[in-house]
Amino acid sequence: MTNNLMYFAILLPAVISLLAFATRKMGKVCAATALLGAVVNLVVAIKLFGQTAAVHVPWTSWGLDFTLRLYSFSGFIVLAAAGFALAITLYSLPFMAKREHSGLFYFQLLLSVAFANGAALADNLILLLFFWEGLLITLYGLIAIGRPGAWKSAMKALVLVGVSDVCMMFGIALAGHFAGTMQISKMHLVLTETGPTLAFLFLIIGATAKAGALPFHSWIPDAAEDAPLPFMALMPAAFEKLLGIYFLARITLDMFALTPGSWCSTLLMTLGAITILVAVMMALIQKDYKRLLAYHAISQVGYMILGIGTAVPAGIVGGLFHMINHALYKSGLFLSGGSVERQTGTTDLSKLGGLARQMPITFFCFFVTACSISGVPPFNGFISKELIYDGALERGGIFYAAALLGSFLTAASFLKLGHSAYFGKVSEANKNVKEAPWAMLVPMLTIAGFCILFGVYNQLPLHKLIQPVLGEHRLEGHDYAGWHFNIMLVVGTLVVLALALLNHFIGVKRSGSGIGAADHIHYAPGLHQAYDAAEKGWFDPYELGLTLARGVGRVTWGVDRFINWVSDGLAVGVTAMFSYLVRSFHTGSLPIYLWWAIAGVALVIILLVKVN
Amino acid sequence: MPSLLVILPLLAVLLLNLPLNFLRRLALPAALLLALYQAAFALGVLPACCAGCPTQERWFLNALDPLTSVLLLAIAIVAFVSVFVLRATAGEERREFNMLNLVFLAVAGMNGLVLVRDLFSLYVFLELASIASFILIAAHREMGGLEGAFKYLVMSALATMMMLASIALLLALSGSTSFGAVAEALQAHARHGYVLTALGLFLGGLLIKSGVMPFHGWLPDAYSAAPAAVSTLLAGIVTKVTGVYALIRLVLDVFGFTPATQQLLLIFGAISVVAGALAALGQSDMKRMLAYSSISQVGYILLGLATGTGLGIAAAVFHLFNHAIFKTLLFVNAAAVEKQTGTRDMNQLGGLAQKMPITGVTSLLAMFSTAGVPPLAGFWSKLLIIAALWLSGFHGYALLGIGASLLTLAYFLSLQRRVFFGLVRAGCENVREAGWALTLPSLLLAAILVGVGLALPWLIGTFLLPVKGF
Repeated sequence: MTNNLMYFAILLPAVISLLAFATRKMGKVCAATALLGAVVNLVVAIKLFGQTAAVHVPWTSWGLDFTLRLYSFSGFIVLAAAGFALAITLYSLPFMAKREHSGLFYFQLLLSVAFANGAALADNLILLLFFWEGLLITLYGLIAIGRPGAWKSAMKALVLVGVSDVCMMFGIALAGHFAGTMQISKMHLVLTETGPTLAFLFLIIGATAKAGALPFHSWIPDAAEDAPLPFMALMPAAFEKLLGIYFLARITLDMFALTPGSWCSTLLMTLGAITILVAVMMALIQKDYKRLLAYHAISQVGYMILGIGTAVPAGIVGGLFHMINHALYKSGLFLSGGSVERQTGTTDLSKLGGLARQMPITFFCFFVTACSISGVPPFNGFISKELIYDGALERGGIFYAAALLGSFLTAASFLKLGHSAYFGKVSEANKNVKEAPWAMLVPMLTIAGFCILFGVYNQLPLHKLIQPVLGEHRLEGHDYAGWHFNIMLVVGTLVVLALALLNHFIGVKRSGSGIGAADHIHYAPGLHQAYDAAEKGWFDPYELGLTLARGVGRVTWGVDRFINWVSDGLAVGVTAMFSYLVRSFHTGSLPIYLWWAIAGVALVIILLVKVN
Repeated sequence: MPSLLVILPLLAVLLLNLPLNFLRRLALPAALLLALYQAAFALGVLPACCAGCPTQERWFLNALDPLTSVLLLAIAIVAFVSVFVLRATAGEERREFNMLNLVFLAVAGMNGLVLVRDLFSLYVFLELASIASFILIAAHREMGGLEGAFKYLVMSALATMMMLASIALLLALSGSTSFGAVAEALQAHARHGYVLTALGLFLGGLLIKSGVMPFHGWLPDAYSAAPAAVSTLLAGIVTKVTGVYALIRLVLDVFGFTPATQQLLLIFGAISVVAGALAALGQSDMKRMLAYSSISQVGYILLGLATGTGLGIAAAVFHLFNHAIFKTLLFVNAAAVEKQTGTRDMNQLGGLAQKMPITGVTSLLAMFSTAGVPPLAGFWSKLLIIAALWLSGFHGYALLGIGASLLTLAYFLSLQRRVFFGLVRAGCENVREAGWALTLPSLLLAAILVGVGLALPWLIGTFLLPVKGF
């Protein structure tokens, strides 16, 4: 029965997505089909949760078997994905109602759910890769159906994620080669040899890039502006974090035994720290609601990678807990942005203001989720960040410092966002703005509720979801649930939050408005130039790649033209010249021809005499 | 009995010219029948020859070997086709009859030439074929034809003179003119200046007859100015037998391969291949382009022969046969185009493939075969020649051969584009396909090209490689 349910988890959303595709022109029917699909999927996910099962169907002789594995971790991911899928489908009902391509949106949403379930349940690396790449297709498709011209962002996402996936494909091949099997649960590789280490690094690229870490991140802010908003809440905020971090955890926990103090662990932590700081610095100066959130979606991945990279129990638990927390608050934040966009028609912070009074419920949701992301107690983000700090401090003060600085900047940028969007003066255009419809508010409130629940009663997620993933022996007898933290860490966090508040007031005072609260950092000497370069795309791997490709293209074009000139110009010209020369000897005069023949005979005799 | 192939055409000329009027009408069927008989005979003896039957020399016209059999077949095919073209283009009946008589004589000469193994007999039959050709070229009594015939005559006279002188010298040396005796004498006095002069004069004469550059002065005029049927016969087989075959036969059986002969064959072959193709590239007269193309293709044959290896010689003979087929085909098509449009100037033609589909398609096949496009016959022979050159260590010449086949493709594409492809040119709207007398031979020859190309794996073991064995 459980085995059949695993098939259902993959097949049902796929089949219902086809129904949605068939009814894509019939607005409400299609939306109802999608909602049905999301509900069915959630039911299946709930049934699956907490069980263990495995399906093994031999397929080909070279390692590709149809192998599914249901256990605490995959069940948790499938359940979380199903929850977000339902919340976002519900939210999309009013949001996507009048839009073009809403049918295609639902179709691809459900297809993404099917692929995500497959990727979470797959226990064979090649099978996993199949579902993984399927998500790349819907990623492209969902961005491309956004506003006109969105295909450019879609292409950027496709190329960047595609490149990282190629790296991962290579890593899978290496891992399979060195392990002698493609089955994830049977892989036991060590990081002391060169070959497996190489496999590890390539797999890490694939997993972290999926989660949105540097340097394959730059499509997310662009997609935030171009893609339909529910997509942002679904994919970059929820699905990709869930799957990317899930796979990262399986790499570091199951396939390879990552040990604290190994250079691979340090590398992961460094990657995490850099991702936190660079992305949050970019988030700080954004003047668009969605774009600002997008940079945070990148930045927060850094915390998860940092946490898992520590390879100590506290860090791993914190990283995984942060994954689910982030999926919650970042979806919530994007959804609040969607409400604002739907009701006011814009997400440009300079045109917003004072919405707290007009949209109180949306503001409440924003407030909860923003506090979560900033790590304010007692919300869920606070708990997971504390655990990550704990792990980081165990591995080195510098990582802790980086994480703390990240928190400061995160809090600062959300103070700026909240201030400029929800406080201050209401602009003329927004005089008559009303609260969003209930179908949008319900998912937002649900998510906000989970943010509070997971913080206050963190025993629930930690005991039921996170700690079973590590198992008793990895936890080394610790239990991280509850409210017993290192008092120094809590004090540090609170001080940082207070400093962020102080910084905000200084910024507002200096610039005179909420939106300019970060200007004194933006235009600080030294930073100013770096920001300008970043805004121009100098650090964007996609832009750099495009520039390189253009350069290579120009060179090959030149080579092509040259070859063309040689073959069509030079060769033809030289041949024509010789042809003319030969013809000009043929005057038609018989005496001349006779002399040629006689000269030829002379040559014959000379050759006969000379050569031998 | 092979001697019949010489006796019957001569007898036919005698009988048909008896003063009985109805005999004139029998000339055409007689010519076709004779050609068919010859083809059947050649095909009949070819397998036995290739299997290695001993040469019978009971009578002087009885020497059969694979090379001779292949040439007999080629002569029969080209003569058969030429008779059709003659029928289609000769015009008046009397002229047709006269020309047919000359064709009989030319065929008798060529058959005799390939069947003898004696220098002086070879010379006699060579003259018979040549003289018939001179008259044929001028048969229409037009200025161009007369000029072409005159040039051919004068240059041939030079060749004759040199060959006769050489035969005299060799006779004085060996006391006989039979191949075997002369070859022995030559070996005995290999480095003698007297011998080398004799050799040089004979080779020079043969090179003039083959139309190799720079001995080719007569060839473009003769080919392009001759009446359609005559250029078909001349380009297809007469110069190939009187020049190229004789050269191959004498080098193999009498003169032998020395570094000197190899060297001069390579040099003149290379000059012909490249300069012939370059000259062809700039022509606007269709038949003149084909004439220069012939020079270029003969160059390939010389290159193959020059290797002196079994493979090279076999490839040269194969290319000789293929060239006879595709060049005849192209001249037949040129005749069809000239007959239907009244011009050979390619600048005044265009888009004829729509109007003359058979002519267009068959000439495309012939052109691909010449340029060496697989799997047509010409591709294989060219490939074998180049392979033989490479294997013999003549890498430069092999590369030259490959490069020149690009030139071949270039000038033939230019021909095809200007005459057959594209839009129908103003003035060509009412052109129609030529009659069966021209399309039937085209189809026959095209079928041979394709068939030989496809059947190569079988041919190569059965016929091609044994050619070296004589």
